[in-house]
Amino acid sequence: MDMKTDIMVRIKESHRYGDFAVHDNIEFEVRENEFVCVCGPSGCGKSTLLDILAGLLVPTEGRALIQDQPIDPGRQNISFVFQEPSTLPWLNVRDNIAVGLRVKKRPEREVRRIVDDIIEVVGLGGFEKHYPHQISGGMKQRVAIARAFATDADLVLMDEPFVSLDQPTRERMQREILDIWQHRKRTIIFVTHNLEEAVFLGDRVIILSSKPARIRADTRVALQRPRDILSAEFTALRAQCAELLNELSQQAGHAVSQPARAV
Amino acid sequence: MNRTESAVLATARPGAGAAPSTARRAKTVACNALALVVVLVLWELGAEKMASPYFPAPLEIVVAFERLLTQGDVLGNSLWDHVGASVYRLLVGFGLGVLLGVPLGLLMGLYRGLYANTRIVLEPFRFIPPIAWIPLAIIFFTGITRYAFLIFLGAFFPIFTATMVGVGRVEPIHRKVYQVYGATKLQILRRVVLPTVLPDILGGMRVGLGTAWMTIVAAELTGGESIGLGRMMVNYSELLRIPEVVVAMLLIGALGFIFNEILLLAEKYLFRWRWQVAL
Repeated sequence: MDMKTDIMVRIKESHRYGDFAVHDNIEFEVRENEFVCVCGPSGCGKSTLLDILAGLLVPTEGRALIQDQPIDPGRQNISFVFQEPSTLPWLNVRDNIAVGLRVKKRPEREVRRIVDDIIEVVGLGGFEKHYPHQISGGMKQRVAIARAFATDADLVLMDEPFVSLDQPTRERMQREILDIWQHRKRTIIFVTHNLEEAVFLGDRVIILSSKPARIRADTRVALQRPRDILSAEFTALRAQCAELLNELSQQAGHAVSQPARAV
Repeated sequence: MNRTESAVLATARPGAGAAPSTARRAKTVACNALALVVVLVLWELGAEKMASPYFPAPLEIVVAFERLLTQGDVLGNSLWDHVGASVYRLLVGFGLGVLLGVPLGLLMGLYRGLYANTRIVLEPFRFIPPIAWIPLAIIFFTGITRYAFLIFLGAFFPIFTATMVGVGRVEPIHRKVYQVYGATKLQILRRVVLPTVLPDILGGMRVGLGTAWMTIVAAELTGGESIGLGRMMVNYSELLRIPEVVVAMLLIGALGFIFNEILLLAEKYLFRWRWQVAL
């Protein structure tokens, strides 16, 4: 038996599509139950990073390990919250949440219990029998989050899950995701291009440069939760990250506009 | 169904799929009944005007139908023998069309290269009408196999084509949702591809059913057997007994209608996720 370490993810890789380098020596570790946010200019290869961590893509050089094992979606428990709506229109809320559990062939009784549980946590009680077209975009994204937390995933990957939601819904979902995470500890890697979101959520914020992506900063967010986005520490940390990101974006030829929320 | 389509549907039919209120359903039934009556009246008036033995009035059809039901036809076969024989042939041929059309459609839809590399030998067959195969079918097959073959030809292509086109509608994101959990290819086929394609398959089946009925009558007109609705029509037309011919025609129409309704009911049940009301 391997020694039990508290490192969940180790990644060290470079990736290219043909002649085009996407990742250049991306290397970091993520501890168990850590909430890591990955930020970078659009098109910098953040989604590619998640695909590699999900085992959907093999990097051209180096590799990623989960609990010191090569990544294999069939053997490990990984789940993924996608940017676009990923509910299956022919399944109701309950069956959508159960997708991962059923692929993993968990006994039906257990599926029922877990789904009943998580439905309450994400606040979808009473909507079990609804089909995706009958619920709002925010609720659909909650279904996707519930699905990701239903399996005992060692690693939850989130790809800008709130990007298509309006601002109030987005803020509520950010608080909810922290709630769920505090209830059921998981390792989370959360990709976003919104720095405020990253600093609000993460234990750590990793900033990537673009074309090819390199790690430009790996900042620990030492602020107590719940975090106050208007506090001086929060604003300072956000500004510090924003400056770095803006610099990178200008290099890449386009500026990132910061959400003008803090007064 | 993609998002734009469903959006169009939603705007085009407000409250689409709302379990229609009893009042609305009653109105639909009443309108259909009225349409039926209007056609019957026009027919009756036409028959009176023509006053010809070759233009029977509705009542003569009813009489002929009753005679066929109670006494059988001139050759001593009961009407049920004819209906049964036609339906049996149809089901065997149509069943073969589904059994081969769906898997082949899935296969060629999933492996587009396979289709691209073989379409020169596939596509032309689509344009050869099943009745053009009758001479060959008469030489190569007898009895049920002949009918099954011809009906199969009529049913296969609509089902095959609809299935293949449907596979292209599978959304990569739905596939990915399953891949992330380590789903096997078979699981993805069963849980993502099939549910996506099923509406297309059923649509293809309904089209195929139409061609199948078209083919069966043509096949029976030329076949050597003594039973089948098409056969019965030929027998009576040779005797110049038009009412019985019309009975056979109407029976074919009614049977086709019933089969289509059954498929529609199946669609309604299977795709309730598409039709249920939004809150």
